[in-house]
Amino acid sequence: MTIIEAHNISKRFGDITAVEDLNLEVDEGEVLGFLGPNGAGKTTTIRILAGIIAPTSGYAVIAGHRTDGEIDSLHEVIGLLTDTPGFYEKLSARRNLEYFGGFYSNVDVEAHVEKYLKLMGLWERRESRVGTFSKGMKQRLALARALLHEPKVLFLDEPTAGLDPEAAQEVRELVKRLSNEGRTVFLSTHNLTEAEQLCHRIAVIRTKLLALDTGLNLRHRFFRREVIIRLVDPSITIVDAVRKLTFVEDVKEEDGQLIIGLIEPDKNRPELVKAIVGASGKILEVSEREHPLEDIYLKLIREEK
Amino acid sequence: MGRKRIVNILLKEWQFLFTDINTTLLVTILPLLIIGQLILCIWLAVNFAGESALNITIFQNALANLQRATPEVALLSGGERFQVLLLSQFSFYMLLIPVMISVSVATFSIVDEKLSGSLEALLATPVKTWELLLGKALAGAIPSLIVTWICSGIFLLAVRAMGWGYLLDMVMTPVWFISLFLFTPAVTILSFLLGVIGSSRAKDAKGAQNLVLLVVLPVLALIALQISGIIWFTAFSALIMAFGIGVVDYFVLRVAVQLFQRESIVVRWR
Repeated sequence: MTIIEAHNISKRFGDITAVEDLNLEVDEGEVLGFLGPNGAGKTTTIRILAGIIAPTSGYAVIAGHRTDGEIDSLHEVIGLLTDTPGFYEKLSARRNLEYFGGFYSNVDVEAHVEKYLKLMGLWERRESRVGTFSKGMKQRLALARALLHEPKVLFLDEPTAGLDPEAAQEVRELVKRLSNEGRTVFLSTHNLTEAEQLCHRIAVIRTKLLALDTGLNLRHRFFRREVIIRLVDPSITIVDAVRKLTFVEDVKEEDGQLIIGLIEPDKNRPELVKAIVGASGKILEVSEREHPLEDIYLKLIREEK
Repeated sequence: MGRKRIVNILLKEWQFLFTDINTTLLVTILPLLIIGQLILCIWLAVNFAGESALNITIFQNALANLQRATPEVALLSGGERFQVLLLSQFSFYMLLIPVMISVSVATFSIVDEKLSGSLEALLATPVKTWELLLGKALAGAIPSLIVTWICSGIFLLAVRAMGWGYLLDMVMTPVWFISLFLFTPAVTILSFLLGVIGSSRAKDAKGAQNLVLLVVLPVLALIALQISGIIWFTAFSALIMAFGIGVVDYFVLRVAVQLFQRESIVVRWR
């Protein structure tokens, strides 16, 4: 079931176009990675989808609530982690959450504050002033704030930016847990490894939406699939035997491995292995070359330039 | 839900305000300074100018107005009449307390949230703009109004302590009560709403303060016009004024909501 729909969304600030004709759909329970360089329109898109700013044209529907309609009901079903986790620094963590929780209807604020402070590992520091918190603690508190009313859709803008590796890992674990609970997460990030680990699909934006698909499909779309065969001794006889196969597009030898381009990798692989063994090749390992998401991202961004 | 959210804002704002030592000092010291200044002015005027002050034309006009409103003043000596004239101004003078507090408190209300980054998170909640602005305005207006009333009580006690208590019957007229309990709240809410507008429109607190200072000028003008006898509030005219400013409050709140541009606040304030 689709829970986020963006229909022809454009946003201009004076002469500058921040987002152009964005169309996308996100399914319930999906984690969508939203990637793009600085100034690509990621934060603007999140603000539009979260009903904080209005698009110049187009509209979005989030969990059945239109962004150009009554945004108060939209805000009941979304949680937003902004890129700067602003708090009232003189007030305690508990008081901050109680305040934000107090704006939602049908939320047991006291119980939820306790639940999410415990979940974020901040319960022991609940009476401490937020001003005394580290950046990582503030980020966790901001996540608690975004989750407090148990929203169906979460917009996370750079949730691990500036966090130490341990804190970043905790945040990633939390996103996985939320996904397992069936919540939809719209995750804007610069961290491609993080996007790869967490997201079901990846959207790449640079004012316009450049790509939207699973990591695997994006790889297949932008890079030819190549099989890597590690051999005990990659002799010329074996290379020649492989080259003779009709379904082989090309063969390269790199660091004692054969990198082989196949017309239909899934179908051709068993025959390829059979041919190598037939040519007395001793196979140590067969794998497929995985282009990192970074390669796809950079290719997309450079092509757009 | 509106009332619940406004109360939520009020409680947080009060907690936030009174954990700030500067605000606490402002709300306590400033009113005491205003009262002290008023008492000192009356004492100086009575002891050093006395009856001769009544020869000044503007005071003659004001005294004529006062005697029309309170005929028994005519039975007093010249010095006492001058004292009653000055004392009867204090309820208007008290307007300076909430207005001055609003200059400092309300003007920070939105600017602070913008600068700390909490405003965007707040705007992602279901809070309505009018709830936010009214909550912010009332959060400052209610305590400053209470402070103003407490200060009025302190002023009355001080007047008795100075030995001028026998004149208070001629000072605490219906106009005095209307001014303190209807006119002052209406002006207080107005000044805080303007402070919140300034805070949501200005780039910093200083810019917002400049806007709210515009409210101080009409209050000073009101005091000057009354003491110079150009205008004189009767119970009826004070009631009309209070009601009129109450209506203005409503429209200013609507204007504040229109002027509160979520987009420019979120996008331009980084």
